[in-house]
Amino acid sequence: MDVLKRNNVTVTGAGTQAMLFVHGFGCDQHMWRLVAPAFEDRYRVVLLDLVGAGQSDLTAYDPDRYNSLSAHADDILEVLAALDLPDVVLVGHSVSAMIGVLAAARAPDRIARLVLVAPSPRYLNDTDYNGGFEQADIEELLQAMDSNYLGWSASITPVIMGHLDQPELAAELNNSFCRTDPTIARHFARVTFLSDNRADLARVRTPALILQCAHDALAPLAVGTYLRQHLADSELVVLDTSGHCPHLSAPQATIAAMNTFLSPVPQEHA
Amino acid sequence: MREAEEEQYPELDLRLTAENVEELYEYAPCGYCSCLPDGTLVKLNQTLLGWLHYTRTELVAHRTFQELLSIGGRLHYETYCAPLLLLQGEVREISYQLRRRDGSRLSVLLNAQLLRDPLGNPLLVRITLFDITERQKYEQELLRAKSQAEEQGRQLARANEQLIAKNEQLTRINQDLDNFVYTASHDLKQPINNMAGIFEELMRTASFTDPEAPGMVSMFNDALRQMLSTIEDLTVVVQLQREQEHTTVELIELQPFTEELIRSLPARTDARFTLDFAAVPRLHFPRPGLQSILYNLLSNGLKYAHPDRPPHLWVSTALVDGAPVLSVRDNGRGIDLQRHGQELFQLFRRFHSDVPGSGVGLYLVQRLVHQAGGRIEVESQVGEGTTFRLYL
Repeated sequence: MDVLKRNNVTVTGAGTQAMLFVHGFGCDQHMWRLVAPAFEDRYRVVLLDLVGAGQSDLTAYDPDRYNSLSAHADDILEVLAALDLPDVVLVGHSVSAMIGVLAAARAPDRIARLVLVAPSPRYLNDTDYNGGFEQADIEELLQAMDSNYLGWSASITPVIMGHLDQPELAAELNNSFCRTDPTIARHFARVTFLSDNRADLARVRTPALILQCAHDALAPLAVGTYLRQHLADSELVVLDTSGHCPHLSAPQATIAAMNTFLSPVPQEHA
Repeated sequence: MREAEEEQYPELDLRLTAENVEELYEYAPCGYCSCLPDGTLVKLNQTLLGWLHYTRTELVAHRTFQELLSIGGRLHYETYCAPLLLLQGEVREISYQLRRRDGSRLSVLLNAQLLRDPLGNPLLVRITLFDITERQKYEQELLRAKSQAEEQGRQLARANEQLIAKNEQLTRINQDLDNFVYTASHDLKQPINNMAGIFEELMRTASFTDPEAPGMVSMFNDALRQMLSTIEDLTVVVQLQREQEHTTVELIELQPFTEELIRSLPARTDARFTLDFAAVPRLHFPRPGLQSILYNLLSNGLKYAHPDRPPHLWVSTALVDGAPVLSVRDNGRGIDLQRHGQELFQLFRRFHSDVPGSGVGLYLVQRLVHQAGGRIEVESQVGEGTTFRLYL
């Protein structure tokens, strides 16, 4: 199996060290287009689509295998092995921040740094833990997804899957980015929002940057603090932006925070 | 401006220009709202406020658009709609549930547009909402029907899998049976041949005083021969079956094929044959299979001839509904189909004990015809004769 094809991997940029961007739930690698290019002059920039998202190989999505986030972590490590990349800076958004944590715990030699964008180790509330959501909320999300898949039809699938590079075709499509097979998206939503990776945090020694939005419905500030406390070598930066996607709503602030974290030399203005 | 418009549309009724834009916004038959990039509401129309039972001051600058959504809807908005807006500048036809002030829900369809400042920074989001309460009910029905259909599809697939497995199992059992019959007949042959040899030797050397001995010896001999011939027939059945599986269909010219076959039949000088292949002169069939079928049917016709008249056999073809039918008719004793019809084609089933035979012939004929995807019909009148029709 060609893992690079499976995960629709694209590699750009110059530099010896690699920076891998992994998108979160609901979208695909297009999410990084305001941030990733800023690192192309210093890093080999690697983008991918998680299996089941974007233009990944949807036939590879076996619900039994992808029943937990660790299968996605395995995929990522396979991609890095196929590209023969060590000491990678892994930038993961949302659920992929936790996928990155799992990958770093499994292969500390591959992952040199973690940038966790709007992360949460568990979305559901628990005793002494405020994740922000109840089980019923997740069921409601699945309903919202279902009622928005009425527009999905098999006839446009090939267009979405194969021709996003042809703007005249993509332009005809409503909401053409971030679409995928409804059954897969539904399953991934369950896996994402019902997962609990709190116990995995202690297994990570990789230096990590936690990038949190000041107003994020999906990851309350308490979640950021929890992560800071449970990830051994981590620092927390709260970005003054709202929503769940700082790489889209505040790309410059996101890039600046990443640069500060990644540069060992003190910044001139600091 | 007004003058220019009037000049442009001189024939226009002046009342048509009286539409008030402000009023259109406030009371449009859809909900309008505008918010900052973080979702903070800055402007809502009266229609939307009416739907939600909120006052303007309760919402503007105090609440975000996302807060008007159900929690699940908000999750969807933050993970899908908001990034999409930032990526492509607009989203269309997204279905959400708004929460009214009293907590009840309103189904809406959302279109939204992102406005940017001259530097390209997000400035404002314009949202249009359509009440789709009725349509939503219909969509729920559709979704229910869809998930039902999917469940049925899954059940069908499961049933199909079971059928395939059963079929494979049956094929295997069939194969095993064939192998068993072949092995059994093969293994029995040797000891029975030995028995025949020993008996012959015994007859040569031993002498019997009992006056009934010669009769019993003859019966023993008959039984031995019968056993040998049954085993021979079994071997033939299995072998033909195997040959048929591996031989290819060919186009057989029926007239010469049948004539040659008749020459190979046990000689009976008074027998008459009438052949008529005008309707279908050629047949697609494996050659050994057709040979065996015709040989068995014709030799049966001779064997079971009526004692009062010389045998006459008709072999002919016809087209029925565009498909070829091969018929073999005789003027022999006939079969009581009322009594024997059910078991006519069963292996080792015999109906005339006074005529030697093993009960393999018709079984074999039927098996070969079935294997080629055809079927057999029999028509018979006791004392008149029998007709076999092969639909091939």
